[in-house]
Amino acid sequence: MAEEIIRTEHVWKEYMMGDVLFQALKDISISINLGELVSIIGPSGSGKSTLMHIIGLLDQPTRGKIFISGNDIASFTDDKISSLRSEFVGFVFQQFNLINKLTILENILLPTVYVRKKLEYNPVEKALYLMKRFGIDGKEKSYPNKISGGQQQRVAIARALIMSPKLILADEPTGNLDSKSGTEILKLLKELNQEEKITVVIVTHDPLIAKQTKRIIEIKDGQIDK
Amino acid sequence: MDLFRNKMRTFLTSLGILIGVSSVVLLLSFGLGLKEYIRQQFDSLGTNLVFVIPGQIFGNSGSGFSGMRSVVQFDEKDFISLKKLRDAIYVIPIFTKSIKVEGNAKVDYATLNSTTDEIFPARNLELEYGRLFDKPEVDKKTRVIVIGPKVIEKMFDNPVLALNKSLRIEGQTFKIIGILKAKGGGGFGGPDFDKFIYMPLKTGYTLNPDKKIANFLIKAPDNKPFDLFKEEVKMQMIKRYDEDEITVADSAQFISTISSIFGILNMVLVAIGAVSLLVGGIGIMNIMYVSVTERIREIGIRRALGARESDILYLFLSESVLLSLFGGAMGLTLSFLVVLIVQKFFPAYIDLMSSIIALGTSSLIGIFFGVFPARKAARLSPIDAIRYE
Ligand SMILES: Nc1ncnc2c1ncn2[C@@H]1O[C@H](COP(=O)(O)OP(=O)(O)OP(=O)(O)O)[C@@H](O)[C@H]1O
Ligand SMILES: [Mg+2]
Repeated sequence: MAEEIIRTEHVWKEYMMGDVLFQALKDISISINLGELVSIIGPSGSGKSTLMHIIGLLDQPTRGKIFISGNDIASFTDDKISSLRSEFVGFVFQQFNLINKLTILENILLPTVYVRKKLEYNPVEKALYLMKRFGIDGKEKSYPNKISGGQQQRVAIARALIMSPKLILADEPTGNLDSKSGTEILKLLKELNQEEKITVVIVTHDPLIAKQTKRIIEIKDGQIDK
Repeated sequence: MDLFRNKMRTFLTSLGILIGVSSVVLLLSFGLGLKEYIRQQFDSLGTNLVFVIPGQIFGNSGSGFSGMRSVVQFDEKDFISLKKLRDAIYVIPIFTKSIKVEGNAKVDYATLNSTTDEIFPARNLELEYGRLFDKPEVDKKTRVIVIGPKVIEKMFDNPVLALNKSLRIEGQTFKIIGILKAKGGGGFGGPDFDKFIYMPLKTGYTLNPDKKIANFLIKAPDNKPFDLFKEEVKMQMIKRYDEDEITVADSAQFISTISSIFGILNMVLVAIGAVSLLVGGIGIMNIMYVSVTERIREIGIRRALGARESDILYLFLSESVLLSLFGGAMGLTLSFLVVLIVQKFFPAYIDLMSSIIALGTSSLIGIFFGVFPARKAARLSPIDAIRYE
């Protein structure tokens, strides 16, 4: 039996827009297993990013439960959730979300700044290794706005991997890239899933990308479509 | 750190603290300098002196009327009694009076001191021209005077010309045998020692028919604890007077009384300086709020990568403390430079305490005014922050 890494149970997300209640997620119950490569697909505004943020513990549902490796996060403190964000999950965003005033190397190392436990490896060595592996070595001292979008997204992936997380959440990782860079980034994410058994969830609105994953979760108007 | 990237903004923001810290530190240093100045003034008038004065001048009872009670009057009996103090180096009676003087057909006003020849060594009075009067002259009631340089300033173009001339004091003639070196004083409302006329005690009785003695100056020995000697003087005096009819004091008491008066003034000025620190603090708070708003996205990214609320709090708090401390350090440096220049004219100085106060308050201001923006940053929801455009 496959080991479950994350599960949502009847998750709702609602926003008050003035007097009107807007339901961004409606009764979402999904389960993702360790080592899976999953895509979440749906049209714009369907709630993909909202769901990803909730899975990644960046946001809280209005109602419903989230389980991380079988544990209900309702009982977790904010500090515990913060350390899960640094150790358990790695985010890759459409807008890269690098910090422009930090160097590439500092950006990649940023999650290690917030870890309270002792790391078993040298983070700088690991960062340099990842940069080399992703073909961005030599850019350590550069700044994010001095490199191309494809390179920035590689930096973001290296940053997501620096803490060796079990789960990578990528929200439209190719959305801001040309098709060539996009293909390469996608290839990289698939490699990480296959070679390192990292669970990868890719959010996209592009069926061609979704088709490359073994499992597709379709979402429409905040609901699971099938 | 953002502070180094935004140099102009950092500098302008810390300017308020710079001004506040330097005004507080400078005022403190002037206060210290004033105390030092007064101490130097007293020291130049002789050390190890005990003053015996009628009445209660340090009013410990707090009744402001002590000066209005009929005050005791010292006379020769007290002089004889005090001379029995075997350890005393000098026991000097002094009668003082404001007088009109005439010389070279011109008129001026001065302060008469009828006393003994021991006044000169006890008060470190040095001669410029002529000679001092001696003990035989004191005993023989010789009609001679030794004067401060300013007494005859208006009468003679050159003080040397006044030597061995006579001076009319309240209609009587006395011969000027010596002119003293300038001593200064007269600042801060104190007496001008250069306008003093010294005359043998008994010679002065012609101007003092009641043979009164205003006060005694007693030089304490070096080989005995000063306070013990002071107590002996007091014991000797209370044989004749009640304890609260007289004051036996030393210069330290005068200094602390004077400096406590200036101390109050100084505190008021320091409080005004503190207001600019407050304004500086508000400036820091303002710029920190701006900084938080500018960096909301960054806060969101950091939270997404595992930063706790407390990590964000410290990120901003350390920046505001550094900003304030930077202003404080610059203010302190500026104060040191100003004091260095001022020291050429006035013994102002910055002590360790002022430096600690300066840097301590600027850190506290950084914490106090930084904590509100930092808390705002820390409490942002991670998702709202990362979605912020
Ligand atoms: N803080 C918020 N307040 C109000 N509405 C919100 C908020 N965040 C998201 N929404 C709404 O929730 C819905 C889902 O948003 P979400 O970003 O999850 O969509 P998405 O599927 O990722 O779309 P896209 O493909 O354009 O990124 C949208 O209609 C959006 O306007
Ligand atoms: Mg989205």
